[in-house]
Amino acid sequence: MTQDDILSKIQAEFPKIEKAAVQVKDYLTVKLASKDDLIPMAAWLKKEGFDYLEMATAVDYLGPVNMKGYIRQPNFNAFLPGGAKIEVESAAAAGYPYRPVIEFVWSVVSRTDRARVFLKLEVPRDAASAPSLVGLFKSADWQERENFDLLGVRYEGHPNLLKILTPDFLQGHPLRKDYVHVKDRYDE
Amino acid sequence: MSSAATSDRLFINLGPQHPSTHGVLRVGLTIEGEVIVKAVPDIGYLHRGTEKLAEVRSYHHCVVLTDRWDYVAAMPNNLVFCLATEKLLGIKAPARADALRVMMCELNRVASHLLFVGTYGIDIGAFTPFLYAFREREMVLDLFEMLCGARLTYNYIRLGGVMIDVPADWTSKLKEFLEYFKPKLDEYDQLLSFNPIFMARTQGVGLVTPEEAVSWALSGPNLRGSGVAYDARKADPYCGYENYEFDVVVGKEGSCWDRYFCRVLEMRQSVRIIEQVLARLPEGPVMASGVAKVPKPPAGEAYAHVEAARGDLGIHLVSDGGMSPFRMHVRAPSFLNLAILQEKLVGMKISDVIAFLGSIDIVLGEVDR
Amino acid sequence: MTSSSPKPASVKASLPEPVLNDKNGILMTNRRWPIEQWARPWSLPGYRNGAMMLAGIVLGILAGGALIGELSKWGDRLYALMGSFAAAKGISTVAVEAVWIAIKVLIVLHVILLNGLWSIWWERKISAHIQSRVGPTYAGGFHGWAQTILDGVKLFLKEDITPAAADQWVHALAPAIVIAPCIAAFAPVLFGSELAAARLDVGALYIFAFAGISVIGVVMAGWASGNKYSLLGGLRAAAQIVSYELPRGFSVVPVIMFAGSLDLSVIVSAQSGFWWGMAPRWFVFYPVVGQVAFLIFLIASIAETNRTPFDIPEAESELVGGFHTEYSGMKWSVFFLAEYAYVLLGSFLLATFFLGGGGSPLPWTPFTLVPSWVWMLAKAMLMMFVFLWVRWTLPRLRVDQLMDVNWKFLLPWSFANIALAGLYLAFWLK
Repeated sequence: MTQDDILSKIQAEFPKIEKAAVQVKDYLTVKLASKDDLIPMAAWLKKEGFDYLEMATAVDYLGPVNMKGYIRQPNFNAFLPGGAKIEVESAAAAGYPYRPVIEFVWSVVSRTDRARVFLKLEVPRDAASAPSLVGLFKSADWQERENFDLLGVRYEGHPNLLKILTPDFLQGHPLRKDYVHVKDRYDE
Repeated sequence: MSSAATSDRLFINLGPQHPSTHGVLRVGLTIEGEVIVKAVPDIGYLHRGTEKLAEVRSYHHCVVLTDRWDYVAAMPNNLVFCLATEKLLGIKAPARADALRVMMCELNRVASHLLFVGTYGIDIGAFTPFLYAFREREMVLDLFEMLCGARLTYNYIRLGGVMIDVPADWTSKLKEFLEYFKPKLDEYDQLLSFNPIFMARTQGVGLVTPEEAVSWALSGPNLRGSGVAYDARKADPYCGYENYEFDVVVGKEGSCWDRYFCRVLEMRQSVRIIEQVLARLPEGPVMASGVAKVPKPPAGEAYAHVEAARGDLGIHLVSDGGMSPFRMHVRAPSFLNLAILQEKLVGMKISDVIAFLGSIDIVLGEVDR
Repeated sequence: MTSSSPKPASVKASLPEPVLNDKNGILMTNRRWPIEQWARPWSLPGYRNGAMMLAGIVLGILAGGALIGELSKWGDRLYALMGSFAAAKGISTVAVEAVWIAIKVLIVLHVILLNGLWSIWWERKISAHIQSRVGPTYAGGFHGWAQTILDGVKLFLKEDITPAAADQWVHALAPAIVIAPCIAAFAPVLFGSELAAARLDVGALYIFAFAGISVIGVVMAGWASGNKYSLLGGLRAAAQIVSYELPRGFSVVPVIMFAGSLDLSVIVSAQSGFWWGMAPRWFVFYPVVGQVAFLIFLIASIAETNRTPFDIPEAESELVGGFHTEYSGMKWSVFFLAEYAYVLLGSFLLATFFLGGGGSPLPWTPFTLVPSWVWMLAKAMLMMFVFLWVRWTLPRLRVDQLMDVNWKFLLPWSFANIALAGLYLAFWLK
């Protein structure tokens, strides 16, 4: 099945769904209109053979990463000749549409069709939540916990939404672009 | 459960310092006698924030980070990051580089599976296969050392190709190794795979049905051990895998032994692929021209995934046009494979926990990233 | 860096030229690829070393045997001397007997201690060569013979740690309770045809009774350590050893029926003689009954000593060492010593019950001239080799499989074996 076939199939079932503006290269990427669409969409896709939740992640589009989020300031550009000023400020790329949103990304795979669909959902940054897919795909369990831990996004209906990777005393969600590291007992 | 029944229960910590957790995994086990009634995996002891670190490093620097996820088989890690970045940059590695990438990844798969065979033997209580497997793994690592100077963290596959062409007599040494290695696979089968005690310990233990395996998004030999023939090398070929003949090995019932034996058979398939690559290794450059020292790919998103030794390793890369990835997400196979632990351990005996944990073959560097 | 300083050379210029490929030549020439080893197996030092080690083992057996044999002769002389001395001085014979018993106890004790030195080194070498390693080579010069001695010194010097959660007294007492019955069990063990510390009419029963006591020490160790893994190990040990006592005891019942006595020297003398002038009348060669009993006894002995494939009480990969996790220094080495003492006990019992004790395997002159203690030791060492061989080849069983093997396989077959032995006695050996 080509990407267009899948897209037309999806659009026949869910007319509101359209192609995302930024496509994941080589794969079909669709944009969900609202978070209520996610569960019916995922359930339908699962029924259609896309029963393998390959990835669930999220991206924070606030802006360039805050350098105070790092314990040690990394040398940003080691290719500069010696003696040059080390660049520690991350620069905003010109013309990129930074915006205060968090975009959820899911990818589901059909093993029989050898096809892969990326689902995208944009939510405002201060109320970042999406329905949990644990009921449909068990693999969503830890991936959603990971995203909750690192990005501070919430998944409604997740039975056990706890921190998973970072230590309990770590404050904040490191992968948020405005994350600032708070010194703890393990810092120098 | 009444209070009288719960008082018979014992809580034990399996890890983080335990010989069989293969790293710093901790599983909180509640046991009744020898039977598990609750299992809570606890990870994160090795979390190094790779995804965060990548956001302030140039793309070339990020290849170095990738080596540290699955340090047992680092070549596919390098490869998957380079594939994703190359998609963003719109460049393509030359034919010889592609062939070398395939060869190194398969060789690394052999090394990784050899480590698995050895350590799984130790988990089950047989010490001898470990040394046998390491004898051969040592030779693979020596080959890698000859190739790129490193034995574990290679940083060999670079953006646009590979670091360096193979040295002069390297391919002949590789052929020598393959000739030596093929009969050794039968030796492992005699010593471990078809040992009655080993089979009794692992067959029918830790059964994962195909539906469960797909729902938990297992990948690699864990998925194929359950009988699901899904392999990224076949389903979504990269680096010219579609040109090589090999079989996707699948198990029958999804037991620990099936997962183990899938890996043993995969080594044979890897040898097959390496031989084909050796037979028709194209000439030419090993690095694409025009890869900048500080590449700044145009804004966009890319997803690349490869069949690493432990499963389907994917990278989701978002670029804002700057010199470092705006967001990098790693779809780590070990992380997803490990998640099934909390469901499957319930009802097992302690010995089976070790057999199951060993058979899903995790690397904590990849789980915690 | 101020702006007035001269511009430094660029980073790239100061880097040395890449030398990666130069390294390959060195690696290629220095590496001994195993393919060459397989092509010319006997020309390689490793195999010569193996042959030399085998010769060393044989010499060691002979030397050990000579020591024991000489001791017995010296012992008879010493006993006679002591008797005459006591008679001359008017000392009571009770005192003489007491001193004599003390001497014998010391000798048996040293057999156990020296066995620890010898068999740990031997196990290291055997396991190393099974695993395509070489094992200890440095300490002492000849194949690292002094490695165990140095390890013993190290264990003496190690800090003896009692965990805070442990029950101090029980923790300290457990190793003693493990090793004491083990030493006592050696009293009637035959080191030659007649060479034993004590001749007991109920020798076999006595050994089994004492060997079974050690499990109490293991359970105490597991419980007193204050560690849940140790507790599990202790419980597993209790279940396992108590279960395997049964087939172990029943498997020698046919032997006792054939010999008509529990006395070990009678059992050995019942195996003297040859069928058709050449095949020894050892119990292991009695058709069906002998082999089945031998195998059951061997398997149960391995299980009794907590060694792979029956090492679930210590199970490094599951219970992190089991009952001896929390032990260190000499307390730990006492456990280790007891394990090897039980291996030696099992080996001597196998040689005594099934392999004709000190009898020669062939009825011809050069073999029959060899003293009985040499044969006994050689057979025991052969059996010990089997113990090591099994340990370093097989994986570990699970708890329930272990119990299945015992209750569903070994025990029924040992009963059937007793019935078969009864038929032999009724129709063949009457």
